[in-house]
Amino acid sequence: MQSLGIDALFKGRNFLRLLEGLWVSVRISLIAVLISIVLGVVMGMLMTSKSRILKAVFRIYLEIVRIMPQMVLLFVVYFGTTRVFGWNLTSEAAAIIVFSFWGTAEMGDLVRGALISIPRIQYESARALGMKEGTLFRYVILPQTIRRMIPLSINLITRMIKTTSLVMMIGMVEVLKVGQQIIEANRKASPNAAFGVFGMVFFLYFLICWPISRLAAGLEKRWA
Amino acid sequence: MDLEIMKSYLPLYRDALLLTLKIGWQGVLLAFLTGLLCAVVLHLRVPLLRGIVQIYIELFRNTPLLVQLFFLYFALPKIGLRLSPGLCGSLGLGLIGGAYMTETIRSGLESIPVIQSESAASLGMNPLQAFRYVILPQAAASSVPGLIANVIFLLKETSVFSTISLMDLMFTAKDLIGMYARTTECLTLLVIFYLIMLLPVSFLGSLVERRMRYAEFGD
Amino acid sequence: MKNITIAKRIGTVVLGLTLAAGLPLNALTVKADAESAGNFRTLDEIKESGTINIGVFSDKSPFGYVDEYGEYQGYDVYFAERIGQDLGVEINYVSTEAASRIEYLETGKVDIILANFTVTEERAEVVDFALPYMNVALGIVSPEDAVIESLDQIGEDDEVIVISGTTAETYLEKNNPEIRLQKYDAYAEAKTAFENGYGAAWANDNTEVIAFAIENEGYVVGIPSLGSQDTIAPAVTKGNESLLNWLNEEIEALGGENFFHQDYEATLLDTYGKDYEDTLVVEGGKVGA
Repeated sequence: MQSLGIDALFKGRNFLRLLEGLWVSVRISLIAVLISIVLGVVMGMLMTSKSRILKAVFRIYLEIVRIMPQMVLLFVVYFGTTRVFGWNLTSEAAAIIVFSFWGTAEMGDLVRGALISIPRIQYESARALGMKEGTLFRYVILPQTIRRMIPLSINLITRMIKTTSLVMMIGMVEVLKVGQQIIEANRKASPNAAFGVFGMVFFLYFLICWPISRLAAGLEKRWA
Repeated sequence: MDLEIMKSYLPLYRDALLLTLKIGWQGVLLAFLTGLLCAVVLHLRVPLLRGIVQIYIELFRNTPLLVQLFFLYFALPKIGLRLSPGLCGSLGLGLIGGAYMTETIRSGLESIPVIQSESAASLGMNPLQAFRYVILPQAAASSVPGLIANVIFLLKETSVFSTISLMDLMFTAKDLIGMYARTTECLTLLVIFYLIMLLPVSFLGSLVERRMRYAEFGD
Repeated sequence: MKNITIAKRIGTVVLGLTLAAGLPLNALTVKADAESAGNFRTLDEIKESGTINIGVFSDKSPFGYVDEYGEYQGYDVYFAERIGQDLGVEINYVSTEAASRIEYLETGKVDIILANFTVTEERAEVVDFALPYMNVALGIVSPEDAVIESLDQIGEDDEVIVISGTTAETYLEKNNPEIRLQKYDAYAEAKTAFENGYGAAWANDNTEVIAFAIENEGYVVGIPSLGSQDTIAPAVTKGNESLLNWLNEEIEALGGENFFHQDYEATLLDTYGKDYEDTLVVEGGKVGA
């Protein structure tokens, strides 16, 4: 049984490399969530439109996000776009696009829900106070919407961090791939490294996602 | 795009669809049973068990399935526990799914007003009877949309099965691309097959949701 | 509902921006050179950019792997380093899996694949191979308590581990469709699974399975050579003649200084010892010389 790979984990820069791999995941998720928030707000507003065409387009968009595995989207965007459009995306760009595509749908749906649920009287009162449409939106509608968006955004970050484990499959070196590399480089010296290394990767993911999802749950309860 | 080539790949994709459905279905079933059990434990506040269930939920909701599978398939044999790829697949889905199902079912249970159990008690039912005949049926109904969303989530998650050598839809496509480099054809078929598998479930979900909303506001 | 009109106005603007996303997308691409006809960068374009993208394995020791300091190492990487040095450019290593190697070249995501790429007719139709730098055949390794010395010994219920997108996979699919294959994405996964006792044997390049048997106790290469004798060579995107010619000249020139023997001694000696040096190394691009 030997050390079950604990030695391999702390050899050279190995542990630091795992953390760097984790940072890649977190970075992608944060960027994607920011893009999702911006595009999601716009999409949510557009979704309240009465246009049949827009409605149909959004319906199809939401349905795609709902049923296509992110893994498939990653492959389609990373390899497919080069074939069809000649874009040559880096794997990180592909990942950010796919994650934003997904996040925007969730945010958009949420913003739509929030906009619809704000009682009409608030609009009327604001107008009665002489607010212009822009001011009304900025000071009355937006703050209430953001309040609802924040817990979901945080929650979305953890779900994205978890999903980043897939980007390994399009050639990004993130925490799981670093784990594999460590196991591979130490196969001889530490044949059971798989246990320690994959155990550690599991633990690292938990360590980063758990506090964030607790925060999201806490905020949701407080602001609900 | 070469239709002849796509046609020649069809049997492979069909096999992959069947395998995905088979393991997916086992995983969903396992997830549902786990979720039901855990939700009941949480709802009835069973001491000790409740703590264990909470730890389980937090662990599995906050880690990716891919990492869980790596652990089940590659790490556990190092301490002498070797499971077959198929078993790892359904077990992995069952465990991660169970954590999500618990939350869904529990919120279903919590949506039933206290007055219902009180009324049941006043009719002379014991707590178990009240749970079995009054709370559970209603909770089940209100959890259905959430449960269907979970089913879609779990079936989508099968796309990481290549890691444990299971020839699911995703791996079939990747493997064919690696051998014959017909990327466009393989990816198109992949998307089509996922649509075939999940569109019906998704429509069912929307339908149920609309019915339920109707019931809520109609009466 | 006037807020909707505002929403629409803002929306139209941003929708336009989103539609114009083609622009920012280009900024994120590896290369945005409109001049080159195909999906590749010519020699001059690479030199000008100062960086070359080379696809290698990151989990196939001792040919391409990453050490505990995060540095790429191995027989392929040793050669890659020299290429970078002689071209006078930085190297950007791209970690590839076996099955995506062709894809990386066809989409121009790397300039050269140096990921232990076996030359085959099928592959030569879609990519251009330079001169070879290594010999290879297929080999099968099995546990020493159940050695498989011929393919007939593989039972109906036995599964043979292969890596998706390798020559071993294509060979067995084509010539022995009756054998059940257990496929994996990556070297690291296949090896760990084999170690864990999944699969009766592991079929791969013989160089790799020999290394595995040497480094891990309890395994024997029962079938050291299967199928044809092949070679391993760098590959470039189909039609990238300037880069291909440069590589060929480079490999021939390196023969003069016995470069690949040095490469062997630096990266493979620890694993294979002296015994395999002459059978494995191809010097100056000349097989059997």
